[in-house]
Amino acid sequence: MNGEAHSAIDRPQFASLLESMSNGAIAVDSDRTVVYANRGALGMLGQRREAVVGQAVSGAFRVFFERAQSRTAADRLARFEHFYDGNWYIIQVFPLLGADGLSETPYTIVTATDISERKKREFEFLEIAAGLEEATRIAEMGTFKVLWGSLAIQWSPHAYIIHGVRPETYHPGGGNYAELVHPEDRGFVTRAGRELVEGKPVANLQYRIVRPDGVVRWMRMDGRILFDSSGAGYASFGTIQDITDAKQREHELQELLKRNAILYEALEASPIGVAVLTAEESGLSMLYVNAAFERLTQHNSYSLNVDGLRALVADGDRDQWQSIADYLTRSEPGSFDASCRRRDGTVFPARIELAPVRDYPGREATAFVVNLRDMTSDRERAAALLQSQKMEALGQLSGGVAHEINNLLQPVIALSDLGGDVLGKDTEKARKYFEVIGGSGRKAREVVRQVLTFARRDTPQLSAQDVVPLVADAVNLAAKGLPPQLDVKTDIRLTEARAVISATQVSQVMLNLLRNASDAMKGQGVVTVTLNEETVVDGAPKLAGLKPGRWIKLTVQDTGCGMDRDTLSRVFEPFFTTKPVGKGTGLGLSVVYSIVAGWGGTISLDSEVDRGTTAVIYIPLHS
Amino acid sequence: MAHILLVEDSPEVSMSVREILNSAGHTVEDAGTGKQALTKLKAGTFDLIVSDIWMPEMDGIAFLKEVRGSGNKIPVVVISGGAPNAPLTYTAPLASTFGANVVLYKPFEKGELLKAVSSVL
Repeated sequence: MNGEAHSAIDRPQFASLLESMSNGAIAVDSDRTVVYANRGALGMLGQRREAVVGQAVSGAFRVFFERAQSRTAADRLARFEHFYDGNWYIIQVFPLLGADGLSETPYTIVTATDISERKKREFEFLEIAAGLEEATRIAEMGTFKVLWGSLAIQWSPHAYIIHGVRPETYHPGGGNYAELVHPEDRGFVTRAGRELVEGKPVANLQYRIVRPDGVVRWMRMDGRILFDSSGAGYASFGTIQDITDAKQREHELQELLKRNAILYEALEASPIGVAVLTAEESGLSMLYVNAAFERLTQHNSYSLNVDGLRALVADGDRDQWQSIADYLTRSEPGSFDASCRRRDGTVFPARIELAPVRDYPGREATAFVVNLRDMTSDRERAAALLQSQKMEALGQLSGGVAHEINNLLQPVIALSDLGGDVLGKDTEKARKYFEVIGGSGRKAREVVRQVLTFARRDTPQLSAQDVVPLVADAVNLAAKGLPPQLDVKTDIRLTEARAVISATQVSQVMLNLLRNASDAMKGQGVVTVTLNEETVVDGAPKLAGLKPGRWIKLTVQDTGCGMDRDTLSRVFEPFFTTKPVGKGTGLGLSVVYSIVAGWGGTISLDSEVDRGTTAVIYIPLHS
Repeated sequence: MAHILLVEDSPEVSMSVREILNSAGHTVEDAGTGKQALTKLKAGTFDLIVSDIWMPEMDGIAFLKEVRGSGNKIPVVVISGGAPNAPLTYTAPLASTFGANVVLYKPFEKGELLKAVSSVL
């Protein structure tokens, strides 16, 4: 090969030249035969010199050489980067000049420097830079740099964006920044800026800016010092972050926490027992009970969690608790009077109200609020009211009773006198006198019995009785205490209707309602008492909140002065009265209410001013 | 002997009062209410009225007002069992105000009524 000839001639010259190069280098002659390869080139090719020299250029160097030849004439001598077989190289291809430095030789030198490590770092840096840019964008963060010598300030693009300014029209240097800062925060921000260029870092400096469009935003600035290679500080570098959203969230969170705390305290302070049950897949779980609930039941949420509301079921009242459970299952609101068992086994009368909590209307309840009230005091109070109402009614009735008895005693006394006169002379007449005397005596005895029944102190025993004769009798008894000009008409459309009631209470209910009617009509006019039956069908619009079933409907309708809305809304309140001082106790309707409620019934009033009032009572029909 | 109009709604009271008056030789005509009594008063001639107060339709006080309002000066003895909605003591002044000559409270003795009747005849 002719390459062999060249190499023989020039070898020492090539060797001294190429071995002095730290990179890989080869020399090729005009027909591409390698005339010399230095150690670096052999390392890159992984071959011994004998296998390379004298051979056509091959491997990496052949690629580099051809790549250089393909470049334009102007670029042919320029260094270029080339990626080959997993590594980055800087390639330079140049003609070898003669010893005079001007004359051409037939040789070309190809050098390749492995820059893979540098390239790798460069890419890493680019990656970091890109990541940083992305991160600052996501974090609503801009960066700044202040050169201490010139006090020149450089902002990253995002620093402009978060301040609502544009690099074309705004420059942060020369005290301009202070104008962006909220006037109230300007002092300490300016001070921190001055300290930063004096070499003092800032950390977590929070302040407000007012953007040119007037929007106020919260910023956070962090800054540190940049040092040169000699260890001297020359610049400040830092970040400015828009933390408005975080501030807002922080504020909202604070408000939420404050509100939660208030709600919690309010629940804890409530005199009503409150428990919150959550609906889990496994059933209802006790989430919370307030202090009143714990006090009333002697339980806490932990001890209740084991058994749930079952822990409160009193043995004697299982049916009522079963209906509570049914309501919970159906996610329905409801109000129940049930006996409630404390943890120590004692029992108290309770009112339990259920309110389902739904995420959206119509959805299954996700939780229940259970209100628990101890009705002991209410019941005792109702009993006292009942008694005082009885006493009042008794006073009212006593006039009527006295009238009755006086009339009955009249023949007893008169005929006793006359009987003595005619005795033995006219036995037929005497017999008649004594018949009347006996009859009057028996009637007087009955009157006295009624009064005593009415005045009995003990709680009436409820039993299943026919309401029809009781209402008729009660109307007659009550009418005795009413002005004679008051016409009480009865319209009883039932032959028999049994309900769990007490005769005494029926009397009292009728007396109170009729007396109110009489007062509303100033003692004259027509009051109509009706008695019939209504059936509430499941699914039908609920009548006065009644459960499906058969109900006895008792109404007392007057044509009196009626009531306005305000009055109507308060009539069942104890001691609420529209009557003049000394004329009414304000107990009448509240007593009626408590009695009817005790029967499991309801009472409502319809009234219109100057047209009259109708009291409607529903009593569950006992089948 | 007098002809007496007895106004009383209770049959037992009416019977016993009539027997007392009959026993003293008086004749008695019965009326169950104030209205009936007014009709009978117009139709006949009476020496005396004995009247209850608390009666249906027209009570004794209203009846008394009618009688006196028409200028009739006939003696009236009121017999009262007390009004159911007013204290017993209220009846006497009320009846006197409207022209009752005597007020008697039930239950009274035979002698008390006869004494009252003779005092006004």
